[in-house]
Amino acid sequence: MIKRLQKSAGVYIDTGNKFLKNISSEWMGKSGANSRSSLRIGIPRMFFYYIYPNLWETFFRELGMKPIVSMPSTTKTVEKASRISETEHCLPNKLFDAHLAELVGNVDMVFVPRVLSTIKNHLSCPKFGPLPDAARADIARGTEVLSIDIDETRRPLSKTLLLLGTKLNIQKSKTLSAIQSSFSAMESANKKMVRPDKKKGEPRFLLIGHPYTIHDNFIAGPILNKLESMGVEVELMSFADDTPAKSYILWSTANKIYHTINALSREEYDGVIQLTVFNCGCDSMMMDTYRHILKEKNVPYLYLMVDEHSAQSGMDTRVEAFIDSLRWRQ
Amino acid sequence: MTYMAIPNIGNYTIALATAVESLGIKAWASTATTPEALKLGIAAAPESVCLPLKAHLGHFIEADRAGVEYAFMVNSVGTCRLRYYRHMIERILKDLGLKIKIFGLGFDGFKPPIVRHFDPGPITFLKPLFHTALKIKIIDALEAAAWRTRAIEIIPGNTTLVMNTLLVELSESKTMARTRAIRKKVAGCFAEIPVDKEKKPLRVGLVGEISFLRDKCLNKNIEYILGSQGIEPRNFFLLGEELKNITRIVFLNQNRRKYLSKIADRYLQSTVGGHALDSVAHSIRCADEGYDGMIHLCPSGCMPEVSVRPILKRVSKDKDIPILEMSYDEHTCGVGISTRLEAFADVLMERRKKNSSLSHRGERAMNR
Repeated sequence: MIKRLQKSAGVYIDTGNKFLKNISSEWMGKSGANSRSSLRIGIPRMFFYYIYPNLWETFFRELGMKPIVSMPSTTKTVEKASRISETEHCLPNKLFDAHLAELVGNVDMVFVPRVLSTIKNHLSCPKFGPLPDAARADIARGTEVLSIDIDETRRPLSKTLLLLGTKLNIQKSKTLSAIQSSFSAMESANKKMVRPDKKKGEPRFLLIGHPYTIHDNFIAGPILNKLESMGVEVELMSFADDTPAKSYILWSTANKIYHTINALSREEYDGVIQLTVFNCGCDSMMMDTYRHILKEKNVPYLYLMVDEHSAQSGMDTRVEAFIDSLRWRQ
Repeated sequence: MTYMAIPNIGNYTIALATAVESLGIKAWASTATTPEALKLGIAAAPESVCLPLKAHLGHFIEADRAGVEYAFMVNSVGTCRLRYYRHMIERILKDLGLKIKIFGLGFDGFKPPIVRHFDPGPITFLKPLFHTALKIKIIDALEAAAWRTRAIEIIPGNTTLVMNTLLVELSESKTMARTRAIRKKVAGCFAEIPVDKEKKPLRVGLVGEISFLRDKCLNKNIEYILGSQGIEPRNFFLLGEELKNITRIVFLNQNRRKYLSKIADRYLQSTVGGHALDSVAHSIRCADEGYDGMIHLCPSGCMPEVSVRPILKRVSKDKDIPILEMSYDEHTCGVGISTRLEAFADVLMERRKKNSSLSHRGERAMNR
């Protein structure tokens, strides 16, 4: 009964077919781009850019377009974000708005997919649902917003990309080869992130968080720099493609973190650092669970929250205190 | 006597108490979260979770202190944080060393665990459920009548008095016959209130997160404040409607959300989760129906509601309808809320005067 309720409770509207009408030859003429090769497509360096590393640039480049990725976020991005974005958004969402605003005006079209689920039978954060609509309503108003529903439960990513190619009026064979090369680009990017095995005697930490927080320049940058300068080896959590087992958590990232934490042992890592952002709903709910599991495993756990006003020195003090306390313990 | 604590959903708690009695036990509840319970919840919960969780948690802690053995928590199948409420509350209560046992509404087999545990006979179980449905219907009607009369009543406080008397009667009614008698009485009771029939009150729609639309403690009694300002609110969460929708989904595979998503299609093409789609769709509908304004309520940092705010701003500009965005947290105080609502009421009044004078001028120009 519940299963059926779940199925029908989420009304699904595929925005796909509508887009076919949007991107027409007329529009191409209107935007000033005389051929597809000079079509500049903007990709904000947030959310889906980090969830699927390297995928989008490679895909659009292979299709013969000119992908333009916004610059890594800095304090200036944050300043802009606090000016233009909704005040109660979480920090990544604010940064996303700033990245989008940076692109608008410099590109012919911005790409904002609707990421509904990234792993089969899981959900992503509900904030991704209205992302393209919010972009159309507010920041990217007047610019064409290219959007597609990424819903792994309904169709795999390769099919979604194929649909995207059809919507852009591109030959199927060309799209297929683009999909292949973009998938291999994503794989190699994921492989690069995996660090070698632990060396004996050296402390090693695991950094957990959402893919778009632990790889972002503003959010994770200062902390990673500090840890590096202290001579501490940090491994960023890997989100490479393998489906985690089912648990009571349906948010894909949270479930992945849950299983990673469950599997790790004291011998592998000397501590776990969780990086979270202000107003993140998923983390606020799951933090307690993580703390419980790590307490049972006797693994030290540090919880760092980043917001618009967080300063390097404050983070430095907390990280130093954490590392020092661990050294005394040994 | 065994007691069971049930979550607060405003006046509907009265009806839910009847449902709990179907299990052969007594209900422990109040129609609004008490400030003391909220304080307990805030102290026990992690700081960045949303306010409804803190309210529920505080309510259950209070219940445990009063010696209540069981509690009942709603389940959600959606995408937002409500889905994990029960799990989190159970864990926190366990950490605090409290022994209260929490049931969900989930099915694992033919009977829900809550029914299996108490195992009432079929007649003692089914009859109160029909009674509950009737009570929910009556409360729906009561709410709607109160919105209308409170804005135009001559002696302030009359409507609230009548409503409270009826609610008390309803909560004390144990038989179907008595409840039916109350149902017949409702219209007459409200008709007796002296009202200013010439007055055309401002109409405002209330949309947003459900526990804030319903719980008088959490929303600082917003319906009453609006009514005393001479505004007729329309609250878009009525439990009767919501339950009707759920039964339709389960038995007829029809969903009202489909209709709402058609309305909102131009602005929002996803259901998002929670009641975010409803907020956008109702705002558009109200603008088309000629409402004077909208008020969007949500706890600060609510995942679905906050994420549709840029869209609501666009709707407000396109459709020319003022939307007041209110977010509540632990430190929100009633006076601040009433000040903002008074200012909003003034703005709406001025807007109406301006618009009517404009249209008068237009008519005069046409007559010439």
